[in-house]
Amino acid sequence: MRFFAVFLYLVITSSVAQADRVTVFAAASLKNAMDEIGLAFEEKYAHTVVFNFAGSSQIARQVIAGAPADLLITANALWMDEADEMSSIASESRFDLVSNQLVLASSKAQTITLDYESLQQSLSGGRVAMALVDAVPAGMYGKQALEHLGLWDALEPSIIQADNVRAALRFLTLGETPLAIVYRSDVISEPKAYIAATFPEESHPAIRYPAALTERGVTSKVAVMFHTYLKSRDARAILSRHGFLAIDGVQG
Amino acid sequence: MTDWLSPPEIEAVLLSLKVAFWATIVSLPFGIVVGFVLARYEFPGKHLLNGLVHLPLILPPVVTGFILLKLFGTQGPIGSALEELGIVIAFSWSGAALAAAIMAFPLMVRAIRLSFEAVDVRLEETARSLGAHRFQVFCIISLPLALPGVVTGSILAFAKAIGEFGATITFVSNIPGETRTLPSAVYSFMQVPGGEESAYRLVILAVIVSMTALLLSEWLAKRVKTVVEGR
Amino acid sequence: MSLSVDFKLSLPDFDLKVAFDAPTGITALSGHSGAGKTTLINVLAGLVTPDYGHIETDGRVLFSSALKVNLKPEERHIGYIFQDARLFPHLTVLQNLKCGRWFRRLPMNPSTIEEIVTLLGIDHVLSRRPSQLSGGEKQRVAIGRALLSEPEVILADEPLSSLDSDRKKEILPYFEMLRDQMSIPIVYVSHDADEVTRLATTHFELAHGKIHSESSDS
Repeated sequence: MRFFAVFLYLVITSSVAQADRVTVFAAASLKNAMDEIGLAFEEKYAHTVVFNFAGSSQIARQVIAGAPADLLITANALWMDEADEMSSIASESRFDLVSNQLVLASSKAQTITLDYESLQQSLSGGRVAMALVDAVPAGMYGKQALEHLGLWDALEPSIIQADNVRAALRFLTLGETPLAIVYRSDVISEPKAYIAATFPEESHPAIRYPAALTERGVTSKVAVMFHTYLKSRDARAILSRHGFLAIDGVQG
Repeated sequence: MTDWLSPPEIEAVLLSLKVAFWATIVSLPFGIVVGFVLARYEFPGKHLLNGLVHLPLILPPVVTGFILLKLFGTQGPIGSALEELGIVIAFSWSGAALAAAIMAFPLMVRAIRLSFEAVDVRLEETARSLGAHRFQVFCIISLPLALPGVVTGSILAFAKAIGEFGATITFVSNIPGETRTLPSAVYSFMQVPGGEESAYRLVILAVIVSMTALLLSEWLAKRVKTVVEGR
Repeated sequence: MSLSVDFKLSLPDFDLKVAFDAPTGITALSGHSGAGKTTLINVLAGLVTPDYGHIETDGRVLFSSALKVNLKPEERHIGYIFQDARLFPHLTVLQNLKCGRWFRRLPMNPSTIEEIVTLLGIDHVLSRRPSQLSGGEKQRVAIGRALLSEPEVILADEPLSSLDSDRKKEILPYFEMLRDQMSIPIVYVSHDADEVTRLATTHFELAHGKIHSESSDS
């Protein structure tokens, strides 16, 4: 009987502790930056932040299906629009957290002009790793950029597609491909990769990471606190350090 | 059929069938030998072999794919050696077949091992007393009697190979026409809002193919058993 | 031809230590179950290796600890007839009969095959599978299979004990025929006194791994 009482006590107190917790579903490419932001928030406000990092399609679907997330941060507007349409997020809380740059990454420090000859030379028969060009934001941006530059048709036979942008970077760092098209933030965090070229902004749709409170999160004080914290100077500085760009294009 | 599935989707399905077919056929001899050895012999390191065989079953598929990439990629020890011989596995359908074969191998070996264990050892002894060397015993007695299990193991492996995704995409990525198998195509569709419709079409097709394979294996195994036992 | 046997094998319950000669004809081995009869047969067949000893047939050494010889079962040219026939279920009767010659790469010799088939009265079942035979028919095929492998010794481990008395009566004459017409030693294990009386040229009794009595029919 006493054991049961203790057990009940622990169950109750743990659920009370949950009330002070905020759960964030965020795109995988934000992991390093968001972990740091989470720690900073925990230190400052003594509340716990719990993350679930996965592909935008996965986290959006889970939130739409009713997962217990307080915030949703995706890697493109497409999935946030979908969540909005399904009334899973509080539309008024939606804002663009941060931007990114699409870059051509190489396994050695060099500059490559984004034209056919230079690319062919750097490839010398090898391949370019990208995320799925029809499905993953980084891949879709990449294909659009190459099309804009008139390089897609010529480069297509050399392209291999990974299931996410980190996997594409992996092919580069393992030496399987000489080049990869990934985000600036991915290269910053990877010592074995270098930025060889940056795709001009006009060559692809604006890269945006929208963030919003979910229907559930709107009612949680701590979630709203975290939502506000994301717009703070501290958070911006952390994001900038990890290679993301502030929305106005100026690096913080 | 062509109205129901677009050309890239048909391509994915055909590629899946091709990859699964070769994965099964090429791993079959290995599956038979390993299944037989595990069923009949005791030796130091037997547990290690058994563990290795079952590794793809317990490791996350992405990890298996990663290991394959390190070994068979162009920078890997085996991959670079093969390249010298002119054999390219990385980023090709043969790499997809290798990934599928490795993932399906544990299932194949289990079924085959069980069927060898079910073969009466005394029949093998009888054959030896009649003058058969071990290899003759294996070919004339053990293998034919274990055939129902071998058939089952093959078809199980085939079905698993068709559904293989995680290891494949990590190892040979997604290249339409070369490594973009049916599960890869389904995964791609799932990444886009509203893509579920297309995904469902392929999923239904995958279910049909797998169910057909399983039913076929049941029927084939029964037939082989009847022939072998002479009823 | 004769078979000369002398070996020791340690078993969990007792030591199997025997020495005897089996001349042409039937050497019957009787004893209670657990006395080591089947183990003895398996040693002769090469399926079990003794601790030390010497086994040879007319100058051909099958096992010798002194000479470090231990022929594998398939090299011993021994025909083994089991209690439960042990025909290969996936082969026809004819294929079963031929397989000894096939394994040993002996010429098929259709006339020999026909002779033995007629002798054993199994010509009408040649294309059947073992599962379609009666107990008596199975045992006759087993005898034929062992004979056709051109053995130098025949081992029979209670070949009639799983048959009913009618079948036994049917098969016994075939063993008599083997005894009288073939010039090879036949080691015949049985606990049935009548069988032993009727068949045995020589008779040993085995108890707790040792031979206790000898008697010969002359």
